[in-house]
Amino acid sequence: MPLQKILKWLNSFFNNKKSFSIGLYGNVNTGKSTLANKISKDWSGEEMSSVSEIPHETRTVVSKEKISIEVDGKKIVLNLLDMPGITTKVDYREFVEKGLTVKEAQKRAKEATRGIIEAIKWLEHVNVALVVMDATEDPFTQVNLTILGNLEARKIPVIIVANKIDKKKAKPERIKEAFPQHKTVYISALKGTNINELYKTIANVKA
Amino acid sequence: MGVNIEFLAGNILKSMNSEEKIDYVLSNVRKDTIIVLEDALTPIEEKQLITQTMKSVSVKFTGIEVCTIGREQNDLKNQLVKILGGKASGLTIVGPSSIVKKIKRDPDKIRLLAGK
Repeated sequence: MPLQKILKWLNSFFNNKKSFSIGLYGNVNTGKSTLANKISKDWSGEEMSSVSEIPHETRTVVSKEKISIEVDGKKIVLNLLDMPGITTKVDYREFVEKGLTVKEAQKRAKEATRGIIEAIKWLEHVNVALVVMDATEDPFTQVNLTILGNLEARKIPVIIVANKIDKKKAKPERIKEAFPQHKTVYISALKGTNINELYKTIANVKA
Repeated sequence: MGVNIEFLAGNILKSMNSEEKIDYVLSNVRKDTIIVLEDALTPIEEKQLITQTMKSVSVKFTGIEVCTIGREQNDLKNQLVKILGGKASGLTIVGPSSIVKKIKRDPDKIRLLAGK
């Protein structure tokens, strides 16, 4: 048995804690960074990602290590990975419309494409995935299906997060009906609604 | 100006590996063609397609729209059908995002809005 595995086993044996990496996946602007900040702030006191109305604000994988969560007497230590939103198209003109200069927009587009490639690479390396979906939008997007299909193929545990339930147009039940094979938690990362339910689900996941 | 649509039959797709399929699809989509694949791409192939697309994004080529429906389940029945040379299920459509404005998926049908 490699030394790393022995150390990991001893650590978990004596500390009685689960430790794993959780990746936040999803389409662009579903609220992944808002959720990452909420989790990080609740358990470590500080935020980890910047948030913006302009798409592709997160263009590299942002990580926060050793976040300790304790729910109902269960302790887990996790490395939280806020992934760039995945999409099949990146048009710099969209950023120009949001007020960036052409040069800034083209730079952002280039960085966004690199971020998407990086997020896809990480699909094979996370222990658990939180797939964040916007509850006001149709959940049957190809990006959601591709992300879930890849995670399922690798048997990586998935928790679907139906986010933005504070919005009037939100229909989180559509997400639950679309993917009945996975546990779905309804939250508002912005308002903190139902966030403890998500922590309980994370603490009970079998990574 | 018209829109080019190319249908790729399942027997042609069977002779290609994943890399060849993605190269073929992407090179044609970049020439403003909408490709319809008689056999659906797998999620792993879709992941590779998105990765290759992102590597190709430029000022002129802004990416793709892709939609898969009716993908087969990888259960025993379907594996047997494949082993016995039966037809795989599903359908994938890939088009340039500059032409394919919107793809709407219903459980068993795809509605595609295209135009230049």
